[in-house]
Amino acid sequence: MNQIKPTKSIGIRKPLVDGPEKVSGKALYSADFIPADCLVGRIFRSPISHGEIIEVDVSKAEALPGVKAVITGDVTDETFGVLPIARFEYPLARDKVRYKGEPVACVAAIDAETAQKAIELIKFNYKELPAYFTSKDAMAKGSVNIHDHREGNIERDVDFDLGETDGGLKAADLIMEETYNCAEVAQVQSEPHAAIAEYDAIRDFMTVRASTQVPYYGHKMLAKTLKMQESKVRMIKPFVGGGFGCRTECLNVELICALAARAAQGTVRIVTSREETFITHRGRPETDVEIKIGVKKNGLITAVDFKAIQRGGAYSGYGVVTILYAGGLMFGVYNLPAVRYRGLRVLTNTPPPGAMRGHGTTDVRYAFESLLDKIANELGIDAIEIRRRNLLKAPKYETLNEMFINSYGLPECLDWVEEKSGWKERKGKLGPNRGLGVACAHYPSGASKPVNWTGEPHATVHLKLDWDGSITLLTGAPEIGQGSTTMATQCAAEILGLDMSRFQSLTSDSKLTPKDNGSYSSRVTYMVGNASIDAATNLKNILIEAAARKLEVKPEDIECLGEIYRAGTQDDGLNFNEVVQAALEGTGTITVKGNYDTLPESWGTKKYRGGAISGSMAYAYAAQVVEVSIDPDTAEITVEKVWAAQDVGKALNPLAVEGQIEGSVWMGMGQAISEGTQYVNGLGITNSMLDYRVPTIIESPPIEVGIIESIDPHGPFGAKEAGETSLVAFIPALTNAIADAIGVRPIDLPVTPDRLLQLMEDYQKTEKAAE
Amino acid sequence: MEYMPNFQLHRPETPEEAIKLLNEQPEAKLVAGGTDMIVNVRRGIEQPKNLIDLSSINQLKEITESNDGLRIGAGVTLNKVATTALIKKGYPAVAEAASSVAGGTHQQYGTLGGNLCLDTRCLFYNQSEWWRQSNDYCMKERGDVCHVAPGGKRCFAAFSGDVAPAMLVYTAEVELLSSRGIRRIPLAEMYQNDGMNHLTLAPDELVSAVHLPRTLNGTPSRYEKVRIRGSIDFPLAGAAVRLKMNCGKVEDISIALTGVNPFPQIIKGTDEYIGKALNDEGLDILRDSVRKQAKPMKTTTVAPWYRRRVIGALARKLIKELAA
Repeated sequence: MNQIKPTKSIGIRKPLVDGPEKVSGKALYSADFIPADCLVGRIFRSPISHGEIIEVDVSKAEALPGVKAVITGDVTDETFGVLPIARFEYPLARDKVRYKGEPVACVAAIDAETAQKAIELIKFNYKELPAYFTSKDAMAKGSVNIHDHREGNIERDVDFDLGETDGGLKAADLIMEETYNCAEVAQVQSEPHAAIAEYDAIRDFMTVRASTQVPYYGHKMLAKTLKMQESKVRMIKPFVGGGFGCRTECLNVELICALAARAAQGTVRIVTSREETFITHRGRPETDVEIKIGVKKNGLITAVDFKAIQRGGAYSGYGVVTILYAGGLMFGVYNLPAVRYRGLRVLTNTPPPGAMRGHGTTDVRYAFESLLDKIANELGIDAIEIRRRNLLKAPKYETLNEMFINSYGLPECLDWVEEKSGWKERKGKLGPNRGLGVACAHYPSGASKPVNWTGEPHATVHLKLDWDGSITLLTGAPEIGQGSTTMATQCAAEILGLDMSRFQSLTSDSKLTPKDNGSYSSRVTYMVGNASIDAATNLKNILIEAAARKLEVKPEDIECLGEIYRAGTQDDGLNFNEVVQAALEGTGTITVKGNYDTLPESWGTKKYRGGAISGSMAYAYAAQVVEVSIDPDTAEITVEKVWAAQDVGKALNPLAVEGQIEGSVWMGMGQAISEGTQYVNGLGITNSMLDYRVPTIIESPPIEVGIIESIDPHGPFGAKEAGETSLVAFIPALTNAIADAIGVRPIDLPVTPDRLLQLMEDYQKTEKAAE
Repeated sequence: MEYMPNFQLHRPETPEEAIKLLNEQPEAKLVAGGTDMIVNVRRGIEQPKNLIDLSSINQLKEITESNDGLRIGAGVTLNKVATTALIKKGYPAVAEAASSVAGGTHQQYGTLGGNLCLDTRCLFYNQSEWWRQSNDYCMKERGDVCHVAPGGKRCFAAFSGDVAPAMLVYTAEVELLSSRGIRRIPLAEMYQNDGMNHLTLAPDELVSAVHLPRTLNGTPSRYEKVRIRGSIDFPLAGAAVRLKMNCGKVEDISIALTGVNPFPQIIKGTDEYIGKALNDEGLDILRDSVRKQAKPMKTTTVAPWYRRRVIGALARKLIKELAA
């Protein structure tokens, strides 16, 4: 009896709880729901980049036999958008179209062939307006406003100056500056966007299944654009094939699908093509970063002065947040005594970007880490050493923008990569065309202030305990492949001391599961994990009280061993089913809930407008060393090895954490060496998996993952962010390695071989000229 | 996924049946593995009312050896070409080229004939119907303009098959089948320098086999392509080199390119090196000659100057390797 112990679930390599369905092909994704009476929805998209809509003539399309509905912008005059301050987008364009591919009409027909024929019968009459495909052109004097309410096509102008920036620069022994251009990138998640909407005309009720990271936001926007009561909408998120931020806001696809279903008084399914998924976009915006760093001779940073211009596309989406993140997240990695930032979010006639993995910080961090590396070279200070000298100071980790930092494992991350990569022994000794580079990064564990301020907790988890002793975990947290359901189950199982096999889960169905804000900004582990702990603690207390009643002792005398509850070590106690039976006596099925809310201290700074953005309960840290080799003839880059250390607070599931870090490295590698959208007159020319070059498994380097556990005092079992930070660190670590290998420092992203070869040839010319 | 239009699928079991169908339906398109053709059908680039699927014709899937050399049926899969010992040993560049086509799964379906007859490619052409319509199409298909060289009268879409250059360095011949019988022509004559119409086949002809000459069996060769990713990608530029050395001197040399012109191209002037040793200077001259004859245009997202630079470097590297 004394041998019985609570079962441990935390810190153990756990396969994902929804794995069996995925690997056996049983998992149903949005596109897999095809009821017998289902209509095919197809979207008619704008062939022009900017124009006034004169007429969308759908009469011939409507007359085609088999067509059940054709809808245009007339179907709703309600806008949608993720930020309450920037909802200017219609599901289907009204008055104006603002980018090539913007949805203009939708057909619902009995089959794909009829739907396609109907699309071809739609006549779109328009008056073209000047269109702008670069930030520069959109901001130029005399440019036409893409939105009437945004003069000069500036969506948001951010400006702050914290500390004495001019003084800091004056006091510097060395100031270096550079301008970087980072291409727009897309997520290229495996599942293209899809939605299926069932409209029940008798009950005026709408059920929508969609590939989304944010069913709650989708739910709200469905009700808004359909002008239906929120209670008349049911939003279900089936299995989702990856998100990475492309579905972190409600997309037009699910809204159009529902509007078409209501118009057709039936069920409509829209499965977009890969090209349409690229056009729906919500990737990382093209960003120009101008940055100046001042340092003392010993490498200590005195001031940072930088500017970011983001090509924001035709609609805001998360844009305001992205440009604020780009500024605010300059803080929190190093001790910066003065920082000046100017951020411009520009409206252009291109598809709207969104909140891609590493939201807001990636391109700016690339610029900073790249320039810091150059400074280290100039000063003759080791690249790891200069970073160490500028670390935040324990125990308070104060930053000028008042970040709430209570755990900071960056020093340990640096130590780990330095040791594992053999940095000291190998740096500079790898022979020609081979080099090592290092870089650091951080990322918040969820935004502390929610997008919609409702006064509700950030996260709520329900646990349902029934007569059979089974526990069902109900969460609105969208499982999108990141392992959130496994994580929430682990947290509850750990508290209750039960094996995870006692648990089942139900997720993301608005009629069954508690509301959740969604899977984005790395909020789920921190917030939903804590809510799950809270729920399990509440359930445990109920079980302890029931056991105490049954054993006729005080609750505080009950010892919970998971499967056994007992009053003393000599006592046989009650097994779990007996405790459950006792607990259900007179009350029946028990559903408990747990909540989580952030602390006001983490809500960011009030020193500048928008300072709440980048406020988080905790920040994860990463240091990476990349080893690279370059083919001198073709400039082909081979990533030979990556050492990736990340302070994740506590690795709740080391298997999943490793997967996240490896995935981050892989995704960062795409942005670093081969990915980037390109447009010809606003027409995306790389909108396929052939021309938008995501690295394949062949390019995937050996990755050694170092998990650093700083145990955050507020995180669930000490855990923090695990899925984004390492992406941010990879890009500059790679370009710094390239500089180490060949003496040429890449500036613009991606570092494609043609770009690199050009840089190498220019460098050779200047070397020759110098001789 | 892109919408798949309706068409009539024919599945002949003999070459004669296929020829008969082709005569009955002159606009019909031939399909074997479909790895390229079906993508184009989905995109509306090809709008066939009739598709003749050659994949059930076993006669086209044979590899036979004779005194003449090796005869490889056009329906042999790229995977088989890549792994057949006779080809790997006798004509290594051919096997190497087949194993570098797209990705592994494509090679299971794609065929030799399909790769040799691959349509030319261009960023402005290999796009969806909506895309091409929004861009007023192009001279290769329904439009008037070339977006690569506006004002020009030629189409520069690039031939991007991997196997053709490897076959060309072995002076391969193709067997063409029609109702008039079989004719055999050098593979080089099957192509012409026109991105819109790069194949010289008559509309009623189909490629039934390729012949590799016995005389060249066993001469060393290599094929390599430049691409951004180690899989999937078409060649930005590809080079096949066959080189036989004798006592440190060139006995026979042939170089062919892909991806840099509307047709797979044999490099001219290599005969000058026969009987000569290959020093660094000679290699540089060959490299420059390759660069001069390659004429990549902006048909991919990668800069044409880069493709020209690396095709020279690549050819030089392969020659050097084979000479060693």
